[in-house]
Amino acid sequence: MFGYYIALALRSLRTTPILSALMVAAIAVGVGAAMTTLTLNYMMSRNALAHKDDVLYAMQLDNWAPDRGWQSPNEMPWEINYKDAISLLHSDIPTYQVAMHRWGGPLSREDSELRPYSAEARVTSRDFFALFDVPFIYGGSWSSDADSNPVYQIVLSQQTNEKLFNGENSVGRTVNFNGAPFTVVGVTEYWQPSPKVHDLNNGNFKKSAEVFLPFGLHRSFEIYSWGNTNGWKGEVIDSYETHLGSEYVWIQYWVQLDSAQQLEDYRDYLTGFIRQQKAQGRFPRPLKFGLSRPSQWLQLNEVVEDDDYMLNWLSLAFLLVCLVNAVALLLAKFLRKASEAGVRRALGANRRAIFTQHLVESGCIGLAGGLVGIFLTTATLALMRQLQMGALDSVAAMDWLMMSAAIGLAILSSLLAGLYPAWRISRTNPSIYLKTQ
Amino acid sequence: MLKMHKVRKSFRTDTIETHALRDFNLEVKEGEFIAVTGPSGSGKTTFLNIAGLLEAHSGGQYLLDGDDVSGLNDRQRSRLRNEKIGFIFQGFNLIPDLNLFDNIDVPLRYRGFKASERRRRIDKVLQQVGLAARAKYLPSQLSGGQQQRIAIARALAGEPRFLLADEPTGNLDSLMARQVMELLELVNDWGTTIVMVTHDPDLARRAERNIQIVDGQVADLEYHANPAALSA
Repeated sequence: MFGYYIALALRSLRTTPILSALMVAAIAVGVGAAMTTLTLNYMMSRNALAHKDDVLYAMQLDNWAPDRGWQSPNEMPWEINYKDAISLLHSDIPTYQVAMHRWGGPLSREDSELRPYSAEARVTSRDFFALFDVPFIYGGSWSSDADSNPVYQIVLSQQTNEKLFNGENSVGRTVNFNGAPFTVVGVTEYWQPSPKVHDLNNGNFKKSAEVFLPFGLHRSFEIYSWGNTNGWKGEVIDSYETHLGSEYVWIQYWVQLDSAQQLEDYRDYLTGFIRQQKAQGRFPRPLKFGLSRPSQWLQLNEVVEDDDYMLNWLSLAFLLVCLVNAVALLLAKFLRKASEAGVRRALGANRRAIFTQHLVESGCIGLAGGLVGIFLTTATLALMRQLQMGALDSVAAMDWLMMSAAIGLAILSSLLAGLYPAWRISRTNPSIYLKTQ
Repeated sequence: MLKMHKVRKSFRTDTIETHALRDFNLEVKEGEFIAVTGPSGSGKTTFLNIAGLLEAHSGGQYLLDGDDVSGLNDRQRSRLRNEKIGFIFQGFNLIPDLNLFDNIDVPLRYRGFKASERRRRIDKVLQQVGLAARAKYLPSQLSGGQQQRIAIARALAGEPRFLLADEPTGNLDSLMARQVMELLELVNDWGTTIVMVTHDPDLARRAERNIQIVDGQVADLEYHANPAALSA
C-alpha cells in the first residue's frame, strides 16, 4: 500500500500545484535556514585531529603576571616563550614534540618568470609532520639538527609546489624565501585541517601554511612571530637576543604522549621544570600547566562560540514557525479533500489507512522541501564564502552527512506538521461528505 | 442478510437530543431488492449509514450476515464494509482526479488484492456496465448516467453481497434513470441484495418490497408480488 500512497501523494501534489508549492517553500525556507547554521556549527565543531585525540596535547605554562591570570578560560596563556620552548625541546619523554609559530615572507623560484609572492610560513621543529600526521608526496622533513642550527631547508605544500614547479618532484631544487636560497627537502600532500586545531591563534579556519621552515633559523633571520606576541612585564626589547630571552609568549607547543605512563612522566617533568624556574625567580603564579587534548583545546579556545549555539536555536525556532505555516496549509489542503477521504472510508478504508495516506503525502512534501532546502543552504553557503573572500571556504560547505541530515530534518518536520491534519481528516465522519459532495 | 431489531440512533447537541431512528425493526433477506421511501428528515439516510456501517447505532441490535456489528472497532467495520457492502450515491462520488480504472480500483486496493486480480475484476465490471473502452477517461468526461454506471461498477468490483443505493437516480434525467435502474435490477438478478433509498414512487414500485420510514420508524411495508409486471 505504501507505493499506492506515494502515487496518490504525487497525484495530489500535481492537482494543487500552488498550495503544494507554498508548503514545499515553507519547509524549504525553514530547512534552508536551519541547515545553514547547523552546517556552519557542525563544520566548525569538527575535530581535525580526532584520530589522535587520545595522544596529542597542546601544552600551556602559567608564567603570567603574579596579580592576574591570562584572559583564557583556564587563565593560562595559549603560547609559551622562546627560552622555555628551547628548554622543553630537550625532553626525551614525548614521542614527538613541536615548537612552532606563524611567519611569512616573499617566495620565489630563481629560474622562473613567476613573480615573488608573499607566502604563509610555519616555523617549526621537525616533529611537526610526524606529530600532526602530515603526509608527504615527495621527500620528507629536514634533519634534526635544523631544530637548533640554521639549516636552509624548506618543505613546500602541495599547492606551493604546483605553483612553483607545476607539481613536479622539486626535492633538491632551490627556492628563494625572504631573500635567501632554500633547498626543498619535501613536499606535503594537501593538508588543510579545519578548524586549524594546531594553530587556533591565527584564524580558526584560515588556510594552512604554504611553506615550512626549520626552528633553528630564528637568529639568522631574526624571526618575529606573525601571530600574537604577549607579555606582562613591560620588558624593553632592544635587540633580537633580548626578544628571545624575554618572557614574551609567542611559541605554540604540542607533544605526543602515547601512553599513560608517558603522560604521567611528562607531568612530573613539567612540574620539576616549573619548580626549577620558580627557584630562579620566574613563574610567579602558583604552579600550573596545561595539557589539553585536541578536542579539549577546541573547546577551551571556544571555536564554536555561545552565539553560534544561540544562532542554532534561533534557526530551529524559525523552522518551527515555518512548520506552523505548513500545518495550516496542510490542514487547508486535506480538509479540501475531505469528501474524497469520505468516499475512501465508504469503500473500505479504515481510519489508519486514511491517516497513513495523508502522512505519506506530508512526507513527500517534506522530501521536496528538503531538496529545495539543500539548494537554498548550498546557495547561502556559497554566498557566505563569496562575502568572506575565502575565510570560510573550509566550513561554509555541505558534506553528504549534512545533506542527508537536511533531507531527514525536512521529512521529520513535514511528518510532524502532517500529524494533526492527517489525524483530523482520518477522524471526520464520512457520511457528512457522502451526502453533500 | 440484514436484521435490525429496535435500533436507535440519536444525535445530541448541548441542549437538544434528536432521535433519527427509534426502535427501528427491519429484516432483509438474501437476494431481495428493497426500496426505502419516506419524507425528508424521516431517517432514510441515517438508516442507510448505519446499515452501511458508516455510522454506529446508539442502541438496539444490528446483525449483518448473522453477526452482531455493535461491538466492532473501526478496522473490523471497515473490513466488513469493504468485503460485503457496496455503495451507490446520488452524487456518484467518483474521485475527480482518478480515471475510471483507478476509481474502480480504490476498494480493491483496500481489500489487498494483487494487481492481476484487480485488473481482472475491473475489466469485468467495466464490461458489465458497458464502459470498457473508456477506462482511462476522467469522470468529468462522462455524462451523469455514465458516471453512475461507473459508481455501480466500483460498488460491484468487490463482489459485495449487499448493495446500498442512496437516491441513485436523483441526479439523472428520466432516460438515464431508467438505464441505471435496469442495471440495478440486473445486478439484483445476479444475486446481489439491494436496498435503495428513493423519493421516486415509480422506482420504488419496481422493487420487490417497499418500506416507508416516518419519524425514524418503519411505517409501512409493501410487497410487490411481481415487480417486473409493474415496470412493464
